[in-house]
Amino acid sequence: MAVRTREAESAPKEGAAALGPALELKHVSLDLGNTSILHKVSFRVEPGTIHCLIGPNGAGKTSLLRTILGQMPHEGVVKIRWGARRGIGYVPQRIDVEDLLPLTLRDFIALSCQRRPAFLGMARRLRAEFDECMQALGLAGKVNRMVGQLSGGERQRLLFAQALIPMPGLLILDEPLSSLDRQGAELIQERVRQLADTGMTILWVHHDLKLVREMADAVTCVNRTLRFSGDPAELLSPERVLEAYAP
Amino acid sequence: MNALHEMLRAWAASGADSGWLPSTFQYAFVVNALLSGLVIGPLLGAVGTMVVAKRLAFFSQAIGHAALTGVAVGILAGEPYTQPFVSLFAFCILFALAMNFARNHTRISSDTIIGVFLAISLAIGASLLLFVTARINVHVLDTIMFGSILTVNDTDLNILWGMTLVTLIVGLVNFNRMLLSTFNPALARVRGIRVRWQDYLFILLITLLTVASVKIVGAILVEALLLIPAAAARNIARDLRSFVAYSCIIATISCLVGILVPLQFNLPVPSGGAIIMVAAVCFLVSLVLRAAVPALRDAA
Repeated sequence: MAVRTREAESAPKEGAAALGPALELKHVSLDLGNTSILHKVSFRVEPGTIHCLIGPNGAGKTSLLRTILGQMPHEGVVKIRWGARRGIGYVPQRIDVEDLLPLTLRDFIALSCQRRPAFLGMARRLRAEFDECMQALGLAGKVNRMVGQLSGGERQRLLFAQALIPMPGLLILDEPLSSLDRQGAELIQERVRQLADTGMTILWVHHDLKLVREMADAVTCVNRTLRFSGDPAELLSPERVLEAYAP
Repeated sequence: MNALHEMLRAWAASGADSGWLPSTFQYAFVVNALLSGLVIGPLLGAVGTMVVAKRLAFFSQAIGHAALTGVAVGILAGEPYTQPFVSLFAFCILFALAMNFARNHTRISSDTIIGVFLAISLAIGASLLLFVTARINVHVLDTIMFGSILTVNDTDLNILWGMTLVTLIVGLVNFNRMLLSTFNPALARVRGIRVRWQDYLFILLITLLTVASVKIVGAILVEALLLIPAAAARNIARDLRSFVAYSCIIATISCLVGILVPLQFNLPVPSGGAIIMVAAVCFLVSLVLRAAVPALRDAA
């Protein structure tokens, strides 16, 4: 039987300026049935940094994120040292909303971010944050459109928006750029940079190695096991990536 | 609550006597029927929106059909055939929980699992009904299958009031959680929602509502009242608020018109059938509106 250990420490690190938490994984293994998804993966995410997670398809990146979120029965330790700002924002790859369902963007954010039933309207405390978020992500003119009516890229921006209400300490993104056009992708990247500047810790599953090189403070490559973790400028050489992505 | 029912019946009777209400309102069973329609309509309409959003129409149909078996079990167990509530509730809840457990713990697709359980339930029900019909008048089964709103009494109304209270509390507190759990379980968990718990809670809610509505709409047609008003509302609604509101309005209108028209025109139609036919007309109107009004058509 898998032994799951998850620790959360309240006190911020001494002298830490960042608002977001530090994240530490020690010997994390995950088995589903007889299949080993992750084997003894260890790495550390520093507070207030953009940390990208890369690896080939089926390498276990999404499973690793769900392990960090405490949603997978794993072995090993996932430790979150919370900073001044608590809370996790999660941007999933997709949501399963029927195309014809009368659910507007405003409804979806209300549904995700408040206790009061969404059909009674958005809570007053959310409205300013919602308007600001929609404005920043180029969705301000579409708040009354149905979610099923949105393009794939607009849906991704909506999922990104919900993760920021309320503003979390740790933001976890599972390939948010997969359906975005160039303009949309640049919008998200810019916003992520701004959030990192405020001290938020960001863990981002990414496929575009060029962008990882440009944006990330640190990169971790998994392919069932840990292949490398550290400075993107040093680690993302073509030879190293080719070797890491090999089965 | 019986005193309230008595007061309303007296008020309706005096209205009928003085001529500002139709003469049928002087009868207690008519007032009971309308009261039950006024309670169950908005309730099923509101919960129906969640059934549609969660794509559980087939699931609720299976529970409705299981009610038939529950009634047969109740009669065989010696309960009164007009109110076999203990067996009805117990069987339907066990059936729904078993079906949901199988749905969650196998890799078989949801509709296949529900289809299998529906077939099992109908097979058991059909077999038991053979024994049941030897004990009671076979026409009693018509009222179970298609509803008999004219036999609604204070006990039935009290059960409906109880279900309304439970549904309001559970539904209002958990509305967002139940829907977000459907749209993305991982995201819901990050938001602190216990997805599996919400899943079972909703299943229990629609089971209890279904059973409480059997006498009014009938076991065969109860899921239709969960589904059709919400489906009609979806055709014309532009947001969640109007979706829930239209669904409640359509379900309530269907109940009231479905109860009153056969009474007023002396039509030999069971209440369940009449209610669902009115709901079906509303659905057709919603389709026409959707086709005719560009703003509604473009919303999809």
